[in-house]
Amino acid sequence: MARHAPARNGWVVWLTFAIGLLLSVSPLPQFMEIFRPLWLALLLAFWALALPHKIGMVTAWMLGLAEDVLYGTLLGQNALILTLITFLVLSLQQRLRMFPMWQQCLVILVIFGLAQLVQLWLSALTGNRQPTLALVLPALVSALLWPWVSYGLRGLRLRLKIN
Amino acid sequence: MLVVLSVAVMVVDARFTLLKPVRSQMSLVLMQSYWIADLPERLYQGVASQFGSRTELAADNEKLKTENLLLQGRLQKLAALTEQNVRLRELLNSSALVNEKVEVAELIGMDPNPFTHRIIINKGERDGVVLGQPVLDARGLMGQVVELMPYTSRVLLLTDTTHSIPVQVNRNGLRAIASGTGNPERLELRHVADTADIKEGDLLVSSGLGQRFPAGYPVATVKEVIHDSGQPFAIVRAVPTAALNRSRYLLLVFSDGRSPEERAADAAQQQESLEHPSADPAVVPSATLPATTPAAATAAKPAATSPAKPATTRAAPAPAATPAATPAAAPTKTPATKAVAKPPAKPAATKTPATAPETPRQREE
Repeated sequence: MARHAPARNGWVVWLTFAIGLLLSVSPLPQFMEIFRPLWLALLLAFWALALPHKIGMVTAWMLGLAEDVLYGTLLGQNALILTLITFLVLSLQQRLRMFPMWQQCLVILVIFGLAQLVQLWLSALTGNRQPTLALVLPALVSALLWPWVSYGLRGLRLRLKIN
Repeated sequence: MLVVLSVAVMVVDARFTLLKPVRSQMSLVLMQSYWIADLPERLYQGVASQFGSRTELAADNEKLKTENLLLQGRLQKLAALTEQNVRLRELLNSSALVNEKVEVAELIGMDPNPFTHRIIINKGERDGVVLGQPVLDARGLMGQVVELMPYTSRVLLLTDTTHSIPVQVNRNGLRAIASGTGNPERLELRHVADTADIKEGDLLVSSGLGQRFPAGYPVATVKEVIHDSGQPFAIVRAVPTAALNRSRYLLLVFSDGRSPEERAADAAQQQESLEHPSADPAVVPSATLPATTPAAATAAKPAATSPAKPATTRAAPAPAATPAATPAAAPTKTPATKAVAKPPAKPAATKTPATAPETPRQREE
């Protein structure tokens, strides 16, 4: 992990995404399944805030496609969701970076909740509608995880000078 | 713009098969992540088996040996029974059951979505798995393959809310449809008449009527039957016999090479040939059954599972079928046991569904 010049270490970003993909399919105990955080969305939100010139909606869309294949949903469903999340994060980016952590959490909660609602509509369209409100739980858990993810990745980013 | 693109992709994926190769290529790489996510479990098992003590292994071996012996014993009986079943079917002029081939697959992942019951197994298109293929575990039916990838496939479990399977009660052949509820320990029988002869502890086996699942595999045992006068139908809850959320090794069933149409034709023919003897019930059972081995008592089970299709205690509109079918199953039992019931009384008893429970109870002796 040498300290290279700026604009290096981009692979770490992709490594975190790969880990995110793994986490999003890792087996969990039955009762915790409904709390599974939206790992990819969290990572995307962080990197979109930190490196808006590198990580954008196209990345989100690709990752979403990958998630679709993993989950066996319609190709494009999660892609749409993640693109939407990234779009919202990017459009709030200037403000979001200034917010204190608790406020960031709130914004993340709202954005992810919205995304989960879209998810609900889409899955209702494709025929397997879920018993509703439990669907917002992942958004809540993700919002609670946001400070940890955010501080952790920020530390990683400063340490490796990811740019 | 990406939104439009993703909507377009979704529509295309939902309506056409254009994107199937893309998906399959992507899954080739991405499905490794299930494998990697499963790695800790695999490692733990490997380590545990490495360090399993000798005494433990010996005990295990002993246990497996006894189990094997028991199964072998049962298998011997099964060979005779299969032969007998084939002979009986020949007498009835119907097609014989073909033995299904099975292959072992291993579970590598659960679907992360908590609201669906799907699992991922390590056999895919290249292993000859086909869409809609039934999947078993050691104790019963688990589900069917719904998505194929090159080296993996996705299996929809019986308990998923979008899944239903045609079943029949092993005891009397009553047909029903078992739907998933989203609870891994529960199936529900839909539209079962309040007066239907079904009770707690009944074994439900697949009836093969949907032409997707092979007939005769155990599906569930009835846990409770609730008669609510406010409801048009009885509420029947059943527990799947397969360990849906615990089994790690599964069996993929490769049924015979017949296409669904051929199978349907065969089934229809079989149905026909079964209905013919039912025209005069006195002749067929008395003629065929005593002619075979006296061990017909044990044969009652396989004989009851497969040809029991017309035995619809529920199908009241066709009352001609009911008295015919029950004697067909009953005399198999009665000559061998101490003539528990008087056979002539039975057709009368089965006419109304309300009195139907009497016959099964006698048969269970």
